[in-house]
Amino acid sequence: MTTQTMTEPVQKTSRFSVRSVLQNAGIGLALLALILFFSVFTEHFLTPNNITNILTQITINLVLAVGMTFVILIGGIDLSVGSVMAFAAVVAGKAITLPGFGPAEAIALAIVAATLTGVACGMFNGVVSAYWSLPSFIITLGMLNIARGAALHVSDAQTIYSFPYAFEEFGSAMVYGIPVVFLVALFLVFVAWFVLNFTVFGRLLYGIGNNEEAVRLAGHSVFWYKVAAFTICGLTAGIAAIVYMARLNISSPIAGIGFELNAIAAVIIGGTSLAGGRGSVIGTLLGAFIIGVLANGLILIGLSDFMRQMITGIVIIIAVVLDYYRAKYAAK
Amino acid sequence: MKLFKIAAAAATGLAMLAGTAQADDKPVVGLIMKSLANEFFQNMLVGAQAHEEKRGDYELIAVGMQNETDFESQINAVENFITQGVDAIVVAPADSRAMVRPLKKAMEAGIVVVNFDVALDAEAKKQQKIELAFVGPDNRGGAKLAGDALGKKLGEGAKVVIIEGNPGADNANERRLGFEASVAEYKLDLLDSRTAHWETEEANTVFSNMLTAHPDIQGVMAANDSMAIGVVKALESAGRDDIVVVGFDNIPAVGPMIQDGRMHATVDQFGTDMAANSIDLALEVVGGADQLKGWVKTPIKLVTAN
Repeated sequence: MTTQTMTEPVQKTSRFSVRSVLQNAGIGLALLALILFFSVFTEHFLTPNNITNILTQITINLVLAVGMTFVILIGGIDLSVGSVMAFAAVVAGKAITLPGFGPAEAIALAIVAATLTGVACGMFNGVVSAYWSLPSFIITLGMLNIARGAALHVSDAQTIYSFPYAFEEFGSAMVYGIPVVFLVALFLVFVAWFVLNFTVFGRLLYGIGNNEEAVRLAGHSVFWYKVAAFTICGLTAGIAAIVYMARLNISSPIAGIGFELNAIAAVIIGGTSLAGGRGSVIGTLLGAFIIGVLANGLILIGLSDFMRQMITGIVIIIAVVLDYYRAKYAAK
Repeated sequence: MKLFKIAAAAATGLAMLAGTAQADDKPVVGLIMKSLANEFFQNMLVGAQAHEEKRGDYELIAVGMQNETDFESQINAVENFITQGVDAIVVAPADSRAMVRPLKKAMEAGIVVVNFDVALDAEAKKQQKIELAFVGPDNRGGAKLAGDALGKKLGEGAKVVIIEGNPGADNANERRLGFEASVAEYKLDLLDSRTAHWETEEANTVFSNMLTAHPDIQGVMAANDSMAIGVVKALESAGRDDIVVVGFDNIPAVGPMIQDGRMHATVDQFGTDMAANSIDLALEVVGGADQLKGWVKTPIKLVTAN
């Protein structure tokens, strides 16, 4: 009996369902429409340089959004990723500027420091919210403040600078006009896609989002799966910190303010349900592209800052309303 | 270490709230700053604490805010200082209108009030019928120094853009107006002006896109150095070394950039000393000197490679 309740929700989101194809196609079409619009109405949109710019500019948000997808799929939310990114960046910034290390050691140390900081914060979010069954909204809101305060404390509110040259090289390196940092993000998308679709772990995350009780009754430890989802989200915040540092060659304790909202927007525009259990990381990739293309194109078109902010908000709302109809249609 | 000092200051404040007022009769100065998450105010706090130790003839209670727009906690701080009966309040208001009424209350309670960093609104002061001097730098004048350096370097008709601070913030407005005055004086061609909310990453993104839209940009005026760093990084990734960048604040991170020419100039308004200087002025008045009048301008300086 327990297995019956278990298999039902998992089948519903099977990996090649009509719904998931429809969803991604819909978002893809929206993205295509945006690209067409900006190509026609601006002179420089479809130039190689601008495409490189867009890829660089969406990288941090994409990395954060990949982790966020895991958390939202289990019906959670992580408001702390922007602050955790800043915290990881200043810890890594302190590590990379420690005296007495060669460039290679310093960079390795910074990467370890950033990922460990991210993982620790994410794991904390997961353990506290899963153990006491508390809403992750409020726990990660707490972490948002903890990590921001910690970032300011560790850095004494100063910008950390002068990193090894090789690190900067990595931040601006290109392969056939594609930024290496974007390829790193793309690789993360691929890994996440594989894990979510082709591993028991990934399918159980969907299961938890659909019906947590059923997964528990089927004999799985919901606690550790939830902790894992938040830890992955923290890890991506750590990776985003490394990208930030490599790209700008500084660590700023005020970095990433509001980034959590952009990451959540990318996930939701990408068709993942805020209620959990439904969505895909490919959608997240497309969602991040929509936000990035919009931000880029609206500046090229010469729209004022305030209009730009309004239009971004309108697009988020349209995406969610469309998603409602998509879900309704696919449920028939 | 700094945090311990802040904590100590906070603890002192709490102790005083509890009614265990100071034993000796040194004058007490309450310092109200804006966000301590801002490098500028953090440095200012350190400067003020060093000053307290050096002078040794007054007691400092410092209060900061959570963020730039949290002016309610500033109003609370003023009210707490009135209850504690401090001798002077030195305040960098987060909102140039909202702070006028509580400060009037403080003045009526016989407390010496010195307004620094951001000037209180003249109209609001008139409405409340108070006279209050302003001690602070000329943000507009400072921005014009940087803008003029850019104008001199590029010459008439050069194509420039401005990267603004937070829309609505007083110093952001003043700096933008200063840049615009330089644009007018040197007959520069202002192609675009956008906010990057004082932040490096956003400035990097926003400026990259401006550069795509206007590849013929010759100069950039950034309202603070954090944003100037983002602009410099964008220029490096675009492979452009022909564009002149000026900033504001002279934070340590731009030192190397000014030296090797990636940045042309920045402006130092000696933030570290600003609170300390204001405290000196307040203590003079407490000690019986005349009330301050008008605008006591603090030094600003253009910083270039030479």
